[in-house]
Amino acid sequence: MSYLIPLTILLPLVAGLTIFVVGLKGKLMAQLGVLAAFASFLLSAVIVYEAFGKAETNDGSVATVVPAIEYAPSWLKFNLPVALAGKQIKWQLSLGVDGIGSLMVLLTGIVGLAVSVFSLRQIVNRSHHYVGLLLITQSMLFGVFMSMDLVSFYLFFEAVLIPLILLITGWGHSKEASAASKKFLLFTLAGSIPMVVGLIGLALQSSAVNMESTVELQKLSAVAFQQQMHAIAGGTESIAAYTSSHQWIVWVLLLGFGIKMAILPLHSWLPTTYAVAHPNTTALIASVVAKLGVFGIIRIVIPLTPLALAQEAQILFAALGAIAIVYGAMVALAQSDLRRVLAYSSISHMGFVTVGLMTLNTDGMSGAAIQMFNHGIITCAMFLILSLLEERKVNLSFKMEDLGMASLYPRIAVLLVFFTLAGAGLPGLNGFVGELLAMVGMIRVSGIITAITVLGTVLGAWYGLKIVQRVLFGSDGNHDTHHQQHEVRTDCNATEWATLGLLAFVCLYIGVRPSGPMAVIKNDIERLVTVTQPVSKAVHTDIDTVAQNNN
Amino acid sequence: MDTLEFTIASLKLMLPAIVLIVGGCLLLCSGLIMKSGDQHRVHDNRNALGALSMLFIALAGFAMSFREIPADLGSGLFRLDESAIASERLALIGGAILVLISWSTAPKRFLAEYYGCLVIMLGGIPLVGAANDLVSLFLGLELVSIPTYILLGIVKRDNLGMEAAIKYFLMSAFSAAFFMLGLSYLFGTSGSTNLQVIYQTLGSETASKLTIVALLFVLCGLAFRITAVPFHFYAPDVFEGTSLSMASAMAYLPKVAGFVALIRLLGTQLGPDVMSAVVPILLACSALTMIIGNFMAAAQANLRRLLAYSSVAHSGYLLLALAALVRNNAEPVVLYSYLAAYAAMTLGFFACLAEIESAGGKTIMIADLSGMFYRRPAASIGMAICLLSMIGLPLTAGFWAKFLVFMSTTAAGMEDPISLGMGILMAVNAVIAAAYYWRVMSKLFESSDAYVPLRVFRPSLFLAYTICVVLTLVWFFVPYAM
Repeated sequence: MSYLIPLTILLPLVAGLTIFVVGLKGKLMAQLGVLAAFASFLLSAVIVYEAFGKAETNDGSVATVVPAIEYAPSWLKFNLPVALAGKQIKWQLSLGVDGIGSLMVLLTGIVGLAVSVFSLRQIVNRSHHYVGLLLITQSMLFGVFMSMDLVSFYLFFEAVLIPLILLITGWGHSKEASAASKKFLLFTLAGSIPMVVGLIGLALQSSAVNMESTVELQKLSAVAFQQQMHAIAGGTESIAAYTSSHQWIVWVLLLGFGIKMAILPLHSWLPTTYAVAHPNTTALIASVVAKLGVFGIIRIVIPLTPLALAQEAQILFAALGAIAIVYGAMVALAQSDLRRVLAYSSISHMGFVTVGLMTLNTDGMSGAAIQMFNHGIITCAMFLILSLLEERKVNLSFKMEDLGMASLYPRIAVLLVFFTLAGAGLPGLNGFVGELLAMVGMIRVSGIITAITVLGTVLGAWYGLKIVQRVLFGSDGNHDTHHQQHEVRTDCNATEWATLGLLAFVCLYIGVRPSGPMAVIKNDIERLVTVTQPVSKAVHTDIDTVAQNNN
Repeated sequence: MDTLEFTIASLKLMLPAIVLIVGGCLLLCSGLIMKSGDQHRVHDNRNALGALSMLFIALAGFAMSFREIPADLGSGLFRLDESAIASERLALIGGAILVLISWSTAPKRFLAEYYGCLVIMLGGIPLVGAANDLVSLFLGLELVSIPTYILLGIVKRDNLGMEAAIKYFLMSAFSAAFFMLGLSYLFGTSGSTNLQVIYQTLGSETASKLTIVALLFVLCGLAFRITAVPFHFYAPDVFEGTSLSMASAMAYLPKVAGFVALIRLLGTQLGPDVMSAVVPILLACSALTMIIGNFMAAAQANLRRLLAYSSVAHSGYLLLALAALVRNNAEPVVLYSYLAAYAAMTLGFFACLAEIESAGGKTIMIADLSGMFYRRPAASIGMAICLLSMIGLPLTAGFWAKFLVFMSTTAAGMEDPISLGMGILMAVNAVIAAAYYWRVMSKLFESSDAYVPLRVFRPSLFLAYTICVVLTLVWFFVPYAM
């Protein structure tokens, strides 16, 4: 029972609500918000430390999701007025973090801090409202990453929408913001409301084995583990029987999570939203919110119904991920607006996460988990730099001419080059670690998909360098004869420099010493592999799975 | 215990309903002695009658909390079980909000009649909830619907208002006839008007065709009250034709009465024959109600018609919960908590609209709300929260309401194609609903260059929607209190 967890969720929530409601027009409120964001960053760091310290090695229990620190008080126990086969349903909700969750919590803390620091100067109108909503979003995101049962997961997953939509609508391009946020809302709801049916289906699994109905992931994953093993032991027929009864669950869940992570045919909300929302909002969406889908797959789909996933969707989703890598990169190459380049590059990078996840082996899944964190840091930095550049030049389109901003703003230029290289997967920086692991994992599953993925890294470097070339270099920078009134003429200030420097330090640290974050997630990935490895062996008999157990 | 003591004890148990009905009659009579006249006098009258109605509701609330429920409920005309108490609570909460909404918007020429009818309607709902006999059930339902005819007739005296009143009167009389026919057949097959006896008939292993026909007629009669498809046609016309305060009462009170009556009739262990006949009817009716309600609402540009169709769609979700109740997968609490959440979000929305209207704004079309946030921020935020609750997003009571319906619908197990299909259908409908609620919500926050702030302040309306919004938010965190 750790009070750290409710504290981490409540602190930004209370601070955000207070600032939003009491705010008035005081400038001080926004600063108070940044302070609260800093406090939640510290709390998230403490959570990683605690989770790492208490991470248990495999203790013989068969559960594949085990929280390192947990908060499950009795007041979170619900008696539902719904009867199931004559028995009343009693649900214990619980919060908790494991390694993967704590990494995402840290990411949320870092991104929340960086974005709120930037919004101090970037957001001109109603900045206290903006920071307040930002803190509320952050609190809901903490909730998603720290929920250890299906109900609170879904609850926080949906609740993220409300402040986020206000952020998109309230501070975006005035004309298109409403349409874009409607698209975002409807896309997300179209996935997440059917998802409820799938989640209920998973919760009912436990009652199939005459257990008391539960939504706790730890218990459910133990039940699921036994079910998978039972199905595998029964041979092809029982696998088929299990899959046919669970395939719709997998599809409904993947629809919901796929929309959130913008997997290829479901991605069309992403470029519109990213192009219309304020770059600071986009930094939050691209770096954390877009990870919710992947996190959902790691947290719910893989532990609870891996067999149906492997049978139904593994190869398809891996292929979709690989296509997304190439497609996103090629579309990014064709764009001449920096916002859209970054939006499509985000689709491309998320493809690596998908590919890594769908390997279902140790390397791939660790790669995906690390890449989630890394991509979050890099995208956040990129969109924050974008917001700096947009302050200095209103129209960031390099269709007609090179912008040549390096000579005017050397500090921003250095940072942009750094993060572009990190994104392109330069060895020694963090982008490399996740992408490499994802590809190493994938090569055991499918050579063709790996080949396509590798192609994506080349394209990634190409558009990355193109951004650097067209935005930073080229002309001498003196071409803008008609500069705007509100344009900022100076390089970024010390606060911004320090914030981005912190992000750059994280990139560099993970790049040169990936074993740090790897150690945090090691136990969780190992637990997941105990179930995914036999499953993928059973399903894909033609794939070489011998080398999977290399830990 | 002699007869007198017994009678007094029974009267004590039914005191809330009695207080409301007697209070309503007194309010009606007060019209005779009330002086009408200049504007100033009207203002006094408004306050006096509004306060008086509130007083009766408060008295009923007191009567509700200061009574002891005996262990043996008996089997007389009324039976004060959990359903009855829940319906009393729904009536009192909704009634208090409705009186607040009416406070400054009731028609000034018919103040006494207006409040009298409203309070009598409120008294009818506990009667329906406690009814243990077909006669008392019918009596309660008619106590809700007869004042409605009067109210619709007096609130708005133009052609649309007349159309609404006549349409509602004819349709309602027609449906009451259906209902009576069904009740008479039920009496015929079971030999008694007592519900406990009828439950035995419904629960028997084999059921005659006549029983099923009787239930069908009863369902038709009640489907009208809850605006279920295909008995929903009057709703948009009535909502459009009548005043806002009356439309809010129409959206809530008949629906509560209808669902409470349905729970009374079907909330028992049904026999296999009856079950296999009733459940498909309920599910089909629910599917049609959801689909038609949502699609028609999505097509509306008129805000009142949109709200009417949205209330039709909410009936669809409630019917789904009712079907789960019939299949023994849910308890009546699912329906009551949905109705409570519905009360808070719908009445709250109407209260916000009424405030904007009384401050001089227009609320006929959705486009009239454009930029309302900058003209009337508090009411707009209230509306936004109510809309979020209607969509069913977390942090609002509407989330638990929808979630419980989901749970109870799909609790029969995913192998059952009906429950899975209905669950997915409901999910799809919830997304369609989100689209048109979002349309209204984005209008509120649309930035417009020229706007006139609305400065008239009505404390009663402000209080009404504040209560609704607070309830919507608080019930999310304490779902038990719903």
